[in-house]
Amino acid sequence: MKSFSSFHPTVLFLYYLSVIFISMFTMNPVILGCSLIGSILFFSMMNSPKVVLKDIGYYLLVFILIAITNPIFSHNGETILFFLNDNPVTLEAIIYGIAIATMLVAVIFWSKSYSEIMTSDKFVYLFGRTIPKLSLVLSMALRFIPMLKLQIKKVNQVQKTLGLYTTDSITDRILSGIRVLNSVLTWSLENAINRGDSMRARGYGLKGRTNFSLFKFYKRDGMLLIAIILILVTAILGFVFNIFDFYYYPAVSSLEITGVGILEYMFVFILMIIPFIIEVKENIQWKLLRSKI
Amino acid sequence: MRNKKINYFIIMILIPLSIALGVILFKDRKYNLISIIIAFLSCLPIFFSFEKGKTSTRKMTILSVMVAISVAGRFVFAAIPGFKPVTAIVVITAIYFGSEAGFLTGSLSAIISNIYFGQGPWTPFQMFSWGMLGLIAGLPFMRKLLLKNKIILAIYGVFAGVIYSLMMDVWTVLAMDGVFNARRYLAAVTTALPVMAIYAVSNVVFLMLAIKPFGEKLERIKTKYGI
Amino acid sequence: MEIIKVKDLDFTYPEQKTRALKDVSFSIEPGEFIVICGESGSGKTTLLKLLKRELAPHGNKTGSIFYKGTELEELDDRTAASEIGYVMQNPENQIVTDKVWHELAFGLENMGVPTPVIRRRVGEMANFFGIHQWFRKKTTELSGGQKQLLNLASIMAMQPELLILDEPTSQLDPIAASDFITTLQKLNRDLGLTIILVEHRLEEVIPIADKVMIMENGSMILYDKPEYIGQKLKEIDKNHKMLLALPSAVRIFNGLDSEGKSPLTVRDGREFLSNNYKNHINVLERPLKEDENRDENILELKNIWFRYERDLPDILTGVNFQAKKGEIISILGGNGSGKTTLLSVMAGQHRPYRGKISIRGKRIRDYKGKDLYRHNIALLPQDPQTVFLKSNVREDYKEIGKVMGYTKEEIKNNTEEIAEMLSIQKLLDKHPYDLSGGEQQKVALGKILLLEPKILLLDEPTKGIDAFSKSVLHDILINLKRQGVTIIMVTHDVEFAAIVSDSCGLFFDGEIISMGTPVDFFSDNNFYTTAANRISRHMYNNAITCEDVIEICKLNGVKEIHAK
Repeated sequence: MKSFSSFHPTVLFLYYLSVIFISMFTMNPVILGCSLIGSILFFSMMNSPKVVLKDIGYYLLVFILIAITNPIFSHNGETILFFLNDNPVTLEAIIYGIAIATMLVAVIFWSKSYSEIMTSDKFVYLFGRTIPKLSLVLSMALRFIPMLKLQIKKVNQVQKTLGLYTTDSITDRILSGIRVLNSVLTWSLENAINRGDSMRARGYGLKGRTNFSLFKFYKRDGMLLIAIILILVTAILGFVFNIFDFYYYPAVSSLEITGVGILEYMFVFILMIIPFIIEVKENIQWKLLRSKI
Repeated sequence: MRNKKINYFIIMILIPLSIALGVILFKDRKYNLISIIIAFLSCLPIFFSFEKGKTSTRKMTILSVMVAISVAGRFVFAAIPGFKPVTAIVVITAIYFGSEAGFLTGSLSAIISNIYFGQGPWTPFQMFSWGMLGLIAGLPFMRKLLLKNKIILAIYGVFAGVIYSLMMDVWTVLAMDGVFNARRYLAAVTTALPVMAIYAVSNVVFLMLAIKPFGEKLERIKTKYGI
Repeated sequence: MEIIKVKDLDFTYPEQKTRALKDVSFSIEPGEFIVICGESGSGKTTLLKLLKRELAPHGNKTGSIFYKGTELEELDDRTAASEIGYVMQNPENQIVTDKVWHELAFGLENMGVPTPVIRRRVGEMANFFGIHQWFRKKTTELSGGQKQLLNLASIMAMQPELLILDEPTSQLDPIAASDFITTLQKLNRDLGLTIILVEHRLEEVIPIADKVMIMENGSMILYDKPEYIGQKLKEIDKNHKMLLALPSAVRIFNGLDSEGKSPLTVRDGREFLSNNYKNHINVLERPLKEDENRDENILELKNIWFRYERDLPDILTGVNFQAKKGEIISILGGNGSGKTTLLSVMAGQHRPYRGKISIRGKRIRDYKGKDLYRHNIALLPQDPQTVFLKSNVREDYKEIGKVMGYTKEEIKNNTEEIAEMLSIQKLLDKHPYDLSGGEQQKVALGKILLLEPKILLLDEPTKGIDAFSKSVLHDILINLKRQGVTIIMVTHDVEFAAIVSDSCGLFFDGEIISMGTPVDFFSDNNFYTTAANRISRHMYNNAITCEDVIEICKLNGVKEIHAK
């Protein structure tokens, strides 16, 4: 069990919300850099080196692609490097391209770890209170999909032994796909009625439904929650007082280094690497425990 | 009941409109973030009206079946690139069960299919796009038209493919530029033309092949269990 | 006071002329274990659903049902939902949520029970039912038996006083089914829970019932202690269909025209035979088999090895097998042993990585496209629902006509022919999902038979069908055999295999071991054999079916009665 994922779903959700929000809200290169580093570090903790390298390689390409193509579409900026088909290519546009690529790749890596950490049951739990009916619909759909996959496999085989659509041509594939989906649709619709009955038989629809979950809010959840909120507030203050302001056009603005500024950047950096730190801390603790035995 | 629906519909248009206006007026440049928020907020009115409204348990289970089918369908046709039956199933659901069911099937399918195929900032965009395609197909006059006339159904399939592709291109451009860059958008749309064509063609193929058999099944369930 | 009292209950479904329930009256005391049996369509399910208010079907109802003295309609919502629990047939279709723990809590959430209380009750249930090991699993990862246990547990979490179960074990394999029934017995004994159970698996449930109710055409024809059921049923009609469904001990007791309390279990049956019958003749003479079947092997497997993926373990390890024209062969074996895989390899759905399969003298890989399935080999899958695609049976049949290249006229004739043979004429225009389990089975078989197979493969053909449907299936298979069709089935059902097969084999550890005629096969087995054989094996060597036992007992004659 990864330790960051064992925090309470509310805390996790708020964390991802604030990290992604901050990353997308600003174009400040320092913050974007922190976000990229944080997201990749944590992603590396969650996956095998092989997967990590493959993904980083792939997104490096995306990164370069965006950085290069930006000057083709954007001709703002005053430092003209050269002309391409009579259009100016500017230094500012290239730098802006790099910044936006950083943002995009960071957000993608955050989304990747989000998908691994916020499993469906946490999601359903989070929204169970605000949208109880829809979260039940989601929960049921999530249950159906593996069932459907199994049934699709079965029907596929049976239909083959009936001698139907046995070739690999695209028409046969589409036609047999539709037939299989059709059979599975009947199967699931007819059986879904039973499920509706089973729900009513257990009193679904009575007034005053409660929401049960296995998730408990521990002290450490509270501490992390407070930390996130505090950092979020300071970051917002930073935005309000224009500490993070940064412009690319017409000329790239310089970073103003003030005492408060450094402090602010420190906070943001800490926020971005919290999951990584938690994982590392846990790993070290286990190693220590084991060495003591 | 009807009035309420119309109200929600207005709210749905109003929220995004006012935010979009505000953004333009204040010359804010965080379009990528704002657009995601707008797309997400637009889904809320229908979600809440579904929560408040009276829905039978049977209808809920059927809704979940349609969502699951549209996602599982992606596995069935995984071998054929670009062929996703999601839109077709959303449209068929909308024709037989109305706007609300159509919208919900569309937007929930987006959430769930991204659990399998990768969640990201584009999720709200997909929720909104598929949801709206369902909502429009489920409007009373559209339902009649789509059911009566196969040509109109085919046209709707093409329309849905084009709209979906255009919407997702908006997201691509916002993500890559941070602002809406018309030239980039044009370029994105042009490069995505083949994909758009596949979407449109696959929608038409799926709709033509599925409307009758799937419709029969939904009709049967409706009469058999009085939904 | 009785927990359930039913008075003059009549029920008619909308737009139906005949009544589904006729004048049913009975009462049940708290803590009783009641078993209801009857053919499909006799009104059992209708009766059960009427007892559970939330599931009561629409229609015209007269008469009344009292729960603890209050009319069912007047109970308040919460009591009705929580105090009367209902478990349905298909384990899969009742599970609502995607996690085991959530499913356990689902009913309690609906009742508005606060979280700490739910936590405790869920914990209690998980422990009682041994669910704690898979408590955090996804519901889709469970086996059929675990799913049904979860359904039961999630209802028990609501602390019902009355538990109604509609054929809960029909989709389970025999071992999971026995476990489930044992759990029910435990609930009844340890908690005093009142149970109403509809079951086909009477061999196991009748002995533990307090009372047995038999339904026929919507009426209750019998409601009595299990010891007297056999005899009373015989008094009603000497050839009553339900007599076939009774436990072997009762059937032997009945067949020997004995009087009084009948034995119910294998143990009682053995005692009954020892006390009452002589055994100087201990071998039943059987007519010698007509000439050994000297035909060519129609299906032959030589040293077949198979696994699903390179890194997975072998499922078939050197299987050798042959079948001749017109033979019926049963392959028995435990759950998950790979029997179904064996069939799918025979049917060409999967390719072995070593070994040779020939069908009618030609290697299976030399068949191209659909040739393998035309006039050749056909497989009836375990789940008949996977066979249907259309909205009525006739349409489904038509489709096969296209594959076979029949003309319209031929399709029509063939359909009629098959329908007559399986006596399903009335079902042709119905929707496949509106049919009962046994009917679905027959209709699916019909579709397969339209391929005019020379070899028919059946996967668990008796799963979930009642004793009467089984005897119909028996006749169909014998009929096909006469037409020269070779039938190979894999099954758990030893009783069925014993009466229908020419030879039986046990599939174990990747191969078929011990092939033989049913008589040899079952009389050599100790555990894996019929109840009739287990009842009689201490006295007679080769009695396999109830009829065998009755015959040999009659030959031996009754012991002189010793003075006590």
